[in-house]
Amino acid sequence: MGAMVDYETRTRRFTRAEYEKLIGLGVFQPGEAIELIGGELMVAEPQGAPHYTAIRKTARALEAAFGPGWDVRTQGPIGLDDESEPEPDVAVVPGAPDDYARAHPSRPVLTVEVAESSLALDRQHKGSLYARAGLPDYWVLNLVDRVLEVYREPVADSTAPFGWRYGRGEVLDASARVVPLAAPGSSIPVSQLLP
Amino acid sequence: MRQGERPGLRRWTRHEYERLMDHGFLDEDDPVELLDGLLLVKEPQHRRHRTAVLLVARAVERAFGEGWFVQTQSPIILDDRSEPEPDVCVVRGSPRDYVDAHPMRPALIVEIAQTGLRLTRGRKAAAYARARIADYWIVNLIDRVLEVHREPARPGPAGRHWGYAAIEALGADATITPLAAPTASVRVADLLP
Repeated sequence: MGAMVDYETRTRRFTRAEYEKLIGLGVFQPGEAIELIGGELMVAEPQGAPHYTAIRKTARALEAAFGPGWDVRTQGPIGLDDESEPEPDVAVVPGAPDDYARAHPSRPVLTVEVAESSLALDRQHKGSLYARAGLPDYWVLNLVDRVLEVYREPVADSTAPFGWRYGRGEVLDASARVVPLAAPGSSIPVSQLLP
Repeated sequence: MRQGERPGLRRWTRHEYERLMDHGFLDEDDPVELLDGLLLVKEPQHRRHRTAVLLVARAVERAFGEGWFVQTQSPIILDDRSEPEPDVCVVRGSPRDYVDAHPMRPALIVEIAQTGLRLTRGRKAAAYARARIADYWIVNLIDRVLEVHREPARPGPAGRHWGYAAIEALGADATITPLAAPTASVRVADLLP
């Protein structure tokens, strides 16, 4: 694991296997929105109407852009690494839902987080984690500034929370269009994603 | 960035914490304590820390005498989300009174701090103050002083919701009288390794 931010002290970390066992034992409250991020259990922020609307719009736009042969998942678990099982707002994975009946997908070709109050967390903390896992295309749909932040090309960086970050970041406003790396023939107006 | 400012770390209740232990997620080899719902990993103990624990336990046992007992690095219950294991604490009664449940309101809590000064002065002090622990001491091994924290009050320092209004640092040549043992006198020198 990369250098961690200097906190007052450390909390007990969980492996993904432990996390899945805890879920199986019913230790968490039903419906509790939690994610395992670098061994830490994080609670998702409560969702406002704009946040959820953005998720639905993004999912529909990506379904249209990717077409058959891809599954667009919303807030579904990703088996990212031994200490991480995030639930990104939207993730595009190859295949169909049945392909993941036994194990969560681990390498989405496109990962999207919709961010209001969680901007810093999504950019730095999750961005570093996703970069470490080599996720090639990471979008932060920034509802505060009404822009889409597109992150690509993971590079090692010992100062990042998990030792990696995205080497390229591009900010697209509502008038721009975006082309997913894994769907090069498509082109999505950013306005189609924003609530 | 302090941990308390971290967005979104999931907090555990005491009930869930006990389930973690029942299911074998936490055991003797997993030095963890529950504070404010966070599973804090205890720092590895230096020999001086261990020596100070023993010295403090012996000194406060003498000071309090009959009707009290001293427990070291054992759980106490502060609230629904806190079950810390202070280095030393003084509890009314006898160990048999607590067969079924951990003690809740120690008359005195003492933490030994070497690497963990920030934690003992910060999050732990806030949690103890919130639980109205009247007498909280930190044996500061770095500066070789005893920090006596009294008068739980809100708001506390550094933006915390709770803290202690009266904090005094005593050197090795001083003596201290525990609030709950008003006739006793403990030499700070006897607490330092």
